[in-house]
Parts: sequence; C-alpha cells; structure tokens
Amino acid sequence: MRNNFCGSPEHGVSRRGFLGTAAAAGAATLGADMTALDALKSPAMAGELKRKQKNVILLWLAGGASQLETWDPKPGRPTGGPFAKIQTSAPGVEISEMLPKMSKMMGNTAIIRSLNTRVGDHGGGAALMETGRAREQGVQHPDIGAICARELGRADSQVPDYVSMYTSTEGRRKGTSGYLGSRFAPMFLAESMIPQNIRRLETITDVDHKDRAALRDLLAKRFTRSRTSSTVGSHTSAYQRVRGLMASEKLFDIEQEPAKVREMYGPRQFAEQCLIARRLVEAGTPFVKVARAWWDSHGQNFETHQELCADLDHAMSTLLTDLKDRGLLETTLVITLAEFGRTPNINPSLGRDHFANAWSMSLSGCGIKGGTFYGKTDPDGQTVVDGETKSGDVFATIFRALGIDHEKEYHIGARPIPIVDFGCKAIEEVLA
Amino acid sequence: MVDPNKLKEIRTHKQSSIFFGVDRMPETSRLFCGSSDFKVYELDAKVEKAESQAFTGEGHTSYVTTVSLTGSTLVSGSYDGHLAWWNTEKREFIRKVKAHDKWIRMIQITPDGKTIVSVADDMLIKLWNAESGEKLNELVEHKPLTPNEYPSMLYAVTISSDGKLMATADKVGHIAVWDLAEAKKISELEAPVMYTWDPRQRRHSIGGIRSLAFSKDSKLLAAGGIGKIGNIDHLGGPSRIEVFDWQAKKRVHEISDDKFKGLVEQIEFHPSGDWFVAAGGDHSGFISIYDAKTGKVIKQAKAPMHVHGFSIIENWERIYGVGHNNVAVWTLADA
Amino acid sequence: MKILCSILGLLCVGALPSFAHADDLLPASTPINEAIDHYIRKAWADEKIQPAARITDANLIRRLTLDLAGRVPGMHETKQYVASKSPRKWTDLVDRLLASPDFVYHHSNQLDEMLLPGDYNGGGDWQEYLRAAAKENRSWDKLFREMMLGVENDDAQKTALSFVRLRGKSLDDLTNDTSVVFFGVNIGCAKCHDHPLVGDWLQDHYFGMASFFNRTYMTKKNTVAEKYDGLVKFKTTSGEEKQAAFMFLTGTTIKEPAVEKTAEQKKAEAAEVQKQMKDAKAPPAKTPGFSPRTKLVELALKAGEDQFFARNIANRIWSRFMGHGLVHPLDQLHSENPASHPELLDWLRRDLAAHNYDLKRLIRGIVLSEAYARSSEWTQKIEKPAPEHFAVATTRALTPKQYGLSMVVSTSNPDDFDKKLQAENWADERKNLENAANSLASLIEYPGEYFQIGVDEALLISNSDRIQNNYLRDSRDRLLGYIKTLKTPKEKIDAAFWAVYSRGPESEEAAAFEQYLSKRDENDDNWKQILWALIAGPELRFNY
Repeated sequence: MRNNFCGSPEHGVSRRGFLGTAAAAGAATLGADMTALDALKSPAMAGELKRKQKNVILLWLAGGASQLETWDPKPGRPTGGPFAKIQTSAPGVEISEMLPKMSKMMGNTAIIRSLNTRVGDHGGGAALMETGRAREQGVQHPDIGAICARELGRADSQVPDYVSMYTSTEGRRKGTSGYLGSRFAPMFLAESMIPQNIRRLETITDVDHKDRAALRDLLAKRFTRSRTSSTVGSHTSAYQRVRGLMASEKLFDIEQEPAKVREMYGPRQFAEQCLIARRLVEAGTPFVKVARAWWDSHGQNFETHQELCADLDHAMSTLLTDLKDRGLLETTLVITLAEFGRTPNINPSLGRDHFANAWSMSLSGCGIKGGTFYGKTDPDGQTVVDGETKSGDVFATIFRALGIDHEKEYHIGARPIPIVDFGCKAIEEVLA
Repeated sequence: MVDPNKLKEIRTHKQSSIFFGVDRMPETSRLFCGSSDFKVYELDAKVEKAESQAFTGEGHTSYVTTVSLTGSTLVSGSYDGHLAWWNTEKREFIRKVKAHDKWIRMIQITPDGKTIVSVADDMLIKLWNAESGEKLNELVEHKPLTPNEYPSMLYAVTISSDGKLMATADKVGHIAVWDLAEAKKISELEAPVMYTWDPRQRRHSIGGIRSLAFSKDSKLLAAGGIGKIGNIDHLGGPSRIEVFDWQAKKRVHEISDDKFKGLVEQIEFHPSGDWFVAAGGDHSGFISIYDAKTGKVIKQAKAPMHVHGFSIIENWERIYGVGHNNVAVWTLADA
Repeated sequence: MKILCSILGLLCVGALPSFAHADDLLPASTPINEAIDHYIRKAWADEKIQPAARITDANLIRRLTLDLAGRVPGMHETKQYVASKSPRKWTDLVDRLLASPDFVYHHSNQLDEMLLPGDYNGGGDWQEYLRAAAKENRSWDKLFREMMLGVENDDAQKTALSFVRLRGKSLDDLTNDTSVVFFGVNIGCAKCHDHPLVGDWLQDHYFGMASFFNRTYMTKKNTVAEKYDGLVKFKTTSGEEKQAAFMFLTGTTIKEPAVEKTAEQKKAEAAEVQKQMKDAKAPPAKTPGFSPRTKLVELALKAGEDQFFARNIANRIWSRFMGHGLVHPLDQLHSENPASHPELLDWLRRDLAAHNYDLKRLIRGIVLSEAYARSSEWTQKIEKPAPEHFAVATTRALTPKQYGLSMVVSTSNPDDFDKKLQAENWADERKNLENAANSLASLIEYPGEYFQIGVDEALLISNSDRIQNNYLRDSRDRLLGYIKTLKTPKEKIDAAFWAVYSRGPESEEAAAFEQYLSKRDENDDNWKQILWALIAGPELRFNY
C-alpha cells in the first residue's frame, strides 16, 4: 500500500495537509526529525545516548569476492575448487580454509549464504547493494553509509560521520547520500588517507583561522536570523563543524597508535585502513567504509583469492579482536559485502565470473547473533534453496541490528520513501 | 619424418573435469592424468572416443595437479599436500604420504626412477625415495612472501635429461639451479616480468613461472609463464618464455608472444636441441614451436582448450595434451 | 474507478487539474507582471496573509543579476542602481540584463541543467547549441521539436538530439525523462506498480508513452534512428499480457496506419536496422513512413492536448525565479496535486501558448512582478507562510556556476570589473569569467530539492589554497589590492561589504569589524581575513 504514492489523500499526502504542516518551514521535512540523537543537545540524555552510540564498519569487497572461497565452500563438488572447508569455533559453521584466522573466532559473526540479488554488472550490482533497492527514475537513493550517518550521527558531530576509503582505482565509488543531501555525503579518501582540506594552510596562524571564523559566524548569524530553511541551516552547521573536523585529523594518522597495535594490524594497506576505521569508530564516527578492491577474478581465481583472502582474513580478524578488546564490538557492526559473488562454474582461465544468484556476506558484532549462518545454497552453489535474501532484506537486518527503526520513512517532498525497500524484512535468525 | 611445420591437431577427447597434469606409459599412448575431481585417470589417446578410466582407492582430497610415472607406478601430487602412489595395471591406489603443508604444484622423477622431487606453495623443495616414499631431503630457497607481503607460490621444477641438474621457479620469477646429487644451489636467475603486481588499479598480483625445461645438453634452461598484464582480472598478457644460458647467467631469448595470450604451462626441448614445444592458454589454448637458436616461431596453433600439460611420444610424432575439459592429440609427422 | 483514480491520481485518464475557463481569466492583454500580482495578491487576501516587505533596491539588483546574469553585480553596478532616481530603473535593469551576454550564458546553463542533469554530459556542442538558442530566444516548442526530432545530417539539429541520444539506450529513461522534463509528469512509478488495485490503464499510460520511444534506437555510429515496427507488450499485475497503444498522457491514442508489407519488405527493413546497429559505415538511416516519436511531438503540441506541455514549462520557469512551483513538486502535475494558484498557472499557460512559447517574455513578466520583489526575511510574529503562498521570498542556494562566478566577481577589483562591464568586448570577458568560475564550480554540488550543504564545502572554503590564491590574492586586480588603496578603515569596510554583499555594512557589523581590527597589529593579512569572513558567509552563498 505504501508504495503507491501518486499524490493521493489515501496516503496522507494531500497537498494542503502536507505542505501546510510538515513542510511549513520550507524544506524542513528531512531535517524535521533529525533522529533521536539530536536529543544529545539535552545534556541529561546525552550520556545515556552516547553510551549507546552505534557504529558500522563496512568491509566492501569490491569487484565481488567468491563466496566459495570464503563463507560458502563447496569442496569436492565440480564447482568447489581446490580449497577445503574448515570447522570454525562455532559448532556447525564451516567456512573456507582461506579464512583460517576468522575460523577461530566466529563466535561474533553470522553468515548469510542466500543472497539472490540478480544484478550481475559491477555498477548496477554495487548501486543495488549500496542502497538496498533497484535504481529508480527520478530518485537518488542514499547509500547505507549516508542513512547510518543520518540515523546514528549527531547533528553537531565534531568528527566525520561517514568516512569512505577506496584506494584502488578499479571500480572506485565514492558512495552517495542521494536525497539526504551532502550533509551526509561521505568524507572520501582515495589516494591519501588524510582528508582533503582538513589541514590549516601554513599561510594562516591558528589564531587568525579561529578569529576569522568567529567573524564569519557573526555575519552568518545576522543573515540567518530571519531566514530559516534547512538549506540555510545546513550551511551554518557545515561551518560549525569545520574546527572540530580539523581537530580530528589525527584520527587518520595510524602513527599515533602504539607499535604493538601497528604490528598487530601489519604492513598491508587494507589492514592499516581497518585500523583507521577502528580509530574513527572509537572517536564516534558512526559509519566507516573500507573498500578492498579488486576481487574480480575472471582469471586465476584461486591464486587471486590466496592473496585477497589473506588480506580479508587478517584484517577482519584483527579488527574484530581489537574492537572486542576495547569493548567496542558490542556497539560496532562489522559487515562484509560486495556487489555480488562469483560463479560456481570455473572457466578455462581457472577464474570465476560475476554471479548474483547465490552468494554470501557476513555480519559481526553489534546486534548480531554470532556463530550462526542463515540460508542455504544447493550442493554446487548454483541456486539458493533456503532463505532467499534480497538487498532490502540485508538493509532491514542491518538496521535492526543497529536499533534503527527499519520501518521508518523519509519524505522527499510529499513522497514517503521507506528506508527499507518494499516487501523486505529483517532476518531474525541472525539478530541477537 | 618429424617436422615441426607439420604440427596439426588430429583428435580430441572431451572430459568432464579439468586435467592438470599428464604422464605417459613409455612407447604407448596410454596417458595418466591428474584431475580437478580429485582423481587420477587413464586414457588411451590413440583410441577414437576412448573413455577415461578413473583409478580406485583412497587417493586425494583435492585437485590432483601433477603426475609422474616410475616404471609401472604412478605418483601424483595434489593441493591436499599429499603424494600418492598408484598401481597403473590395476588402476588402484597404493599409499600416500603427507608431503607438504600447502598446494603441491609439480613433481618430477629422476631419469633413474629413484627420486621424486616435489615443489609446493609452502615454498619448499622436497626429495623423496620414489619407492618407499621416505623423505630424503628438503631444500629452502624460495621466499614465502612476495615483495608485497602476500603469500608466494612455488610452481615449477625440472630435472635435466642426465639427472644431474634440477631447476625450480616461483611466482615472483626467481629461478634456482641445483646440483641434484649434492642438493646444492649452483646458480640463480631472475625473470621478474613473469610476475605482475598491480599496486594501483586492483592491488593484487597475477602470473608466476609455471614451467621449466632444460635442453637435452643441459646448456639452456627455458622458463615459461606470462608477460606483464594490464588488466589482471584476466590472463590477458602475452605468453612468455625466457631462455637462459644458465651457466653464463645470460638470457639468450625473450619470447613475448602476443598472438597467443596466457600462461605457458609446459615446455619441452627436441633432442636435437634445434627447437622446443610450449603450450598453455588463457580462456582458450595454444601450442607453439619455437626455434631454439633464434627464439622465433616455427609453427603454432590454437589448441582446443587451455593446455595444462603435455607428453611427447619417444619418436616425436605425437604430442598428447591435457587441459580444461579436454585431451588433444597433435601430430608432427604426416598423419 | 473513482477510488483507483484517487489512489493513483497521477495518471488518471482525463484527470487534468480543473482548468479555469478562459472567460474567468484576466484579459489576455493584461501585462504578465500585473496578472501575476493580481492572482497572488488575491490569494494573500483570501488567506489573510500579510506578505513580507518589498526588498531594498540593493537586494533587488543582486537578486535580479543572479537570476538573469548568473552572477552577483559589481560594486559600481549596484551603487549606480541604488543611486538612480529613475522611475523606470527596475524595468531598465531587467531589459539591460535580458539583453546582455550574461543572460545567454545563464539561461542556457539553466536549460542544460534541466535537460541533461547530473551525470549526463552534453559536451561543448550541446552548450553552444543552447547558447545559440538562448541568444535568439528560440521558442520552447521549437526547441522541443528540435530535441525530439532533429535530423542527424544537420549539425545543429544533430546536437539538439543529444537529449534523445544520451538516453537512447534506455527506453525507461527516454520515456520517463521526456515526461518529467517536457510534461511535468513523473510516470516512473506507473511502470511496475505492484499494488493489487493497480488498474490496467495505469500501466497503459506508462507503456503508452513508452510506445512512442520503443522504436527509437542508436545506430553503431551513435546516431538516433527509428525502426519500422515494434509494439510494446507488458504484463499487467494480474499477469495478463497486453499490447500498449500509442497513448499520450491525456489518454488520447493514435493509430498506426495499416500498411501492407510483403515478407520481403519486412525482411529488408529488419536487415537495414541490423546493418545500422552493427555497421559503423552504413549510410544514414532512412526514416520510416510512420514515426512514433514524431507523432508524440505533434500530439503533445496540438491545441487541447498541449496542457501538459504549456503548464510544465510555465511552472518550471516560475519555480526557477520564485524558488517554488505553482505546482510542486515540478514533476507532479496531476489532479491530486493542484496548483496553488490554478488561475494564474492557466493564465500563464495561455499567455505562453499565445506568444509563441517565448520564455524571455515570461521571465521578464515574472521578475517585474511585485511578488518577485518580496523580501526573504520573515520578521512577523506569526508563523512564516508556506512557500506556496509566495509571501516571503525563498532563500535559494546558488548553483555551482553562480557561486563560482559570484566568488570571482565579488573579489575582483571593483574598478577593473566595472571597466570590463562597460567595455565593448564584455561578451568576451563574460566568456572568460564563465571559464574562471569552473575552478570553484566543479567542486560544488548542484542544489537539488532539499539541498543540504556538506562539510566538504565548508572545509574547501576554509582550507583550500585555491580560495586563498584565486580570490584573496593580494594583487592589484583583486579586491584585496583595491582595498589597500583606500585610506580609512571605514572606507575599506564599506568597500568590502559593497563588493561582496552588494550592500553597505550595518552599524553592528562595522563595529564588529572595527573591533576585530583594533585588537590586532596593523597588517595586510587582517584584510585578507575580513574578506574571507565575508566570502565564506551564507550571504554570498545564497540568492535571498
């Protein structure tokens, strides 16, 4: 019923009603319910809510990691490849031996083995898995990071609330905040791990930088006094966050970590970026995406996965251990996801191709019932035989794990858009 | 009359699995193959529509990537880290030993049939008593990590016709030449072009030296693999062979063949020393014959599959290739 | 059916907004601005709304220059306007700006953003095409024809076809974008409505519109061509397979004339299309006897059927200058979403159609209305009226191009800028400005509906060396250099405000700046910081 917005009164969107009330303050619709965490401005609630600050680290396996070499091994089948499966620390859960470190610590992790998302091209698949719904005419949907930034972030946050790292150039995607606007757009890090324009220029002293900002604020205050709109408000809050964000530069600097922690994460880039993610989450950044590209092993799938799974296994297990040791895993959801998986069939280059009909992902930590798996593929991994999962189901599950109301709706103008696509539901079996 | 210019495919035998390695009963066309379905098979390649016969018994628990005959006994190596011994007359499993901690990529047996050499991704070279399966020696040479801190792979080993020399080669293009009797490294060569590390676009690697062969006089050593690749999602680089005068530490030929892309999976020198055969592939396959003096192509052909290995009959009239879902027979003489 | 209509009002057959009868409307001879003010004022009276005050002259020239020239006015330009005692100065300014090269750039940029938004890139030829059209004030119906039906062997028309060409590989994009951009109707949701009550007719309309584009295809040469046959089939939600008719949004259908073709003819036609698709050297594609795309254009512009076409563009132009559509959102032109001022929209539609779809004429009328000249400040104690009342001006974020241009202009040496503006080769200078603006514009997000400014932009303005080097440079051609030539702090503060904000400082502002200066040693850098505080403020960022 909800998806039939075409301007009808039955959907509570009669023009008068809508524009007369909700949107009375211009385009304030989106800003109107700046989430519960705006209550942080009330000091009494701040402590309670801050304690419950939830975070997400998304490990994006760009290009499409093979489910058969990670979470859904099929050894001994024509499609299985050479690698064996191993029993993990969770009874009854077996994963590929390509992930030996993870196998010893599956207690906090749930696997979903039954993704059937159908879209098998990189751009389309990535857009689908980033936004949890098919591309739609005339609507730019926000991605998971922007939604989480909005739902979990604080309006006045002094740290970035959506950081996206993607260093390799192949298939590089920044992420998008769509209709949520650039307030929730990712701080995007590609070549350098130091965010752009976060450093004060050498030509200006810190005092001058601060004083001229105060002067600017004075001018802004006069301008905005009798001009209220969410767009004008966003300009004010963007400038209010500048000094705080500049102070957060050191979060991106892993040199600040003790040598022991550096050693634990090791010298490879993906793990180092996971360490940055941990530092950000610890400081209150609600959403960090670390992309590891490029898994698109059309040729030499098994050689490629020996390298990339080594990366994933080490980085993910170290990250989970570190988060756990710091008491952060309870409030941090770590996700592995990609645009799709890889074909069970092995091609003549000993590669695997794009495959979106039966693939896997993992969820660890916050709100997740660890040591479980959900869904099942057939013995060769060609089809989902149990628990078919769509991208929207993944989103519903993630939101539920984070305590975000997955049935809530945003409004673009008069049009309500549920944050989870129609007909999708959370997978209760993997939720704590 | 054998003539490389007469290279021609004469028969194929479709298979349901991938054959990674092959050896042949001397003076016959009976082939023994290691397969992706974890089994070893026998197939008489001269028989039209011959069915491949699986060996029975315990065997391996993963891809069988390499096979070699000693007398009537077949020895196989697998991803499962085991060497297995098989009775070729009864097509039965005999026994196996745990030989390596990682993927066994290739085994070779010395001309006297007494010693097996195995190389694996644990980066160790191991020597075995071919009869008893007892380990004789273990050689450490190849680095376990690539310069980019990822696990390396040890793909190739070869033994000279006189049984005196051995060569081994790995993923990053490092080659070691050994005095086999002394188990001592006597030379080192490098072929770094065989390894493509993409630090920017895709951030992983592809390639590696996949094949090695000494000339019959042991003076030349050829290494096969793939040249630099732009898009490492695919095997889209030129097939590549580097031929060394290994004693002089000099590369005498650098064959980068854009006509046929992919990995050179095996190389074999003609006893005359005048030419050699190489085969391999990407999504499709190739077989190429090169002049050993000039490094120029004499004759080449598209193979009906990616060729993982081949065996050449003693009089050089037939080449039996195995690979992706197929076995092919080529002639070098008038059919 | 009634229930269906109201749930799915968007596409209800014949469910056009209830149109006022021509007899009820103000006479056609009424000047546009007067008609606007008549209807807007009437609604204020009905709703007992006391609108915001008329803006100051300084505010008016800034708003007009941004809206018509795409940039802020120069310091002298503003001061001269404010000082002028002429009773015609508003009209004269509008006419000067509409005749300026600035308007050609700005208007064509706005059209570009409407026709090829986001990631579509029409390229230099496309922009040149739009500029030429803006310069000669080509009528909107003519532009529509050219963009839909241009022929490939004519350079200008070929460029016009970019609207179709860039969407040529996606029938959905062609169908929906054409409906949105030219008819104000977003029918995307009608494609696959999965509600059990979805009526067949609803999909009939989506697929009816799709039928007009179904035969359009891209040749190997990337030219737009049409096939000889092909009908759209779709499955209704009940699973029934249906064949779509050539149906316009009004419900009107057209029939393809029956032409007997031999099997050989059909084969030859199919072969020609195949050749066009595969062979880059194929001769130019032939035009079939029956062209659905041509039929759509003819139908959409036919008297009686042109309601969508005319209302849409009137509404879009209105929204550009008023910050909110008479029908809003702009792509929801349907019976369940009536216009806030239906008579005004109808009057404007009639006027536009009667005057050859002359957009410049419409623009002139809008910006000369009192409604346009409301202040953006709401100081009354009661709640600010909703935007649909147009009682208080919308504070609109500048487009990236406007912001880039305004940054360059406002930080230029005001004397230099004035000289350039007065010079005969202003058109060339304006072109240079257009390019210079890109340095910043390329880093700024285009403001869509519900636009939010992100912290990336604030960091860029705060810490990027390009802001320091391009705009706050201490050189003769920049504002900082100019200010240094002035004597007293008061003169300097005055100039800084007039140049950047098109107004003088208020006393509290002047005091704050003087205090800022008094706490510091005398230093040229102080003025750099002051200018930064001005350019980083919201007052330069918005058209208010």
